[in-house]
Amino acid sequence: MNDPAEGPELMESPPGGWPSDEIASLYEQHSRAIFYLALRFLGDPQRAEDATHDVFLKAFRKLDQFRGESSARTWLYRIAINHCQNIQQSWHNRHIVANSDDAVWDHSAARTDSPLRVLETKELGQRIQNTLDRLSDEYRLLLLLVADEELSYEQIGALVGQSSDAVRGKLHRARKAFAAYFEKTT
Amino acid sequence: MSMKQQPKFSQQQQQRQDEQQAAGHTNRQQAETAREFASAEEVLRFDAASTTVPPEIAQRLKASAASLAPGQTKSWWRNLFGR
Repeated sequence: MNDPAEGPELMESPPGGWPSDEIASLYEQHSRAIFYLALRFLGDPQRAEDATHDVFLKAFRKLDQFRGESSARTWLYRIAINHCQNIQQSWHNRHIVANSDDAVWDHSAARTDSPLRVLETKELGQRIQNTLDRLSDEYRLLLLLVADEELSYEQIGALVGQSSDAVRGKLHRARKAFAAYFEKTT
Repeated sequence: MSMKQQPKFSQQQQQRQDEQQAAGHTNRQQAETAREFASAEEVLRFDAASTTVPPEIAQRLKASAASLAPGQTKSWWRNLFGR
């Protein structure tokens, strides 16, 4: 149970070695969403780790320019999408097959899970990644964004530069493609 | 007919039963996993919730952010809340 005496999440002094409480709060609230997007979009845990670091560092550097016209989540997603697409483009120019070494996939399982759960989650994670890898970048990105319940179709449309109606139509096809490939990856 | 009257058959039956139970347990687990995910979004939400953010990222970020100018780490939030 939360102790009411602890007060709101934004604390008076910067917690845990962060330079400010806003930076700490921004990372605390959004790091999972940004890391997950990078992980599944790039398909490589190490590159996702680097990308997450770079995205948040960019955000911290631009924090004084952030006016709040969009939510912090969509602002971070915009930085992350641009960053990941640049990485992806650069990666495709140099490599053909992504590295899916088992050891690095361990990031996909929560560390407190039981061994069976870790195994199941790891297998599921690989299956999901294999499925996503077969989709186009556009479908993959749309599905990852729509899986975030904090985002509306309008916000997703703004992030990918399309109308919400276009997003709905493409998501319908993306879901069908995902389901078809997911069934084949058993 | 009691099981004790045919111990050999019962042993085989028991073994088969154990195997079926084990197989059934596995199938149930798979079915439960499959039942959990009715859509692509559900699969991805579960996957996202199971994903741990490596603590190394925060450590690296703290080191990187330490070099930022103090004014850069304040946003409109601070003005809004008067902090």
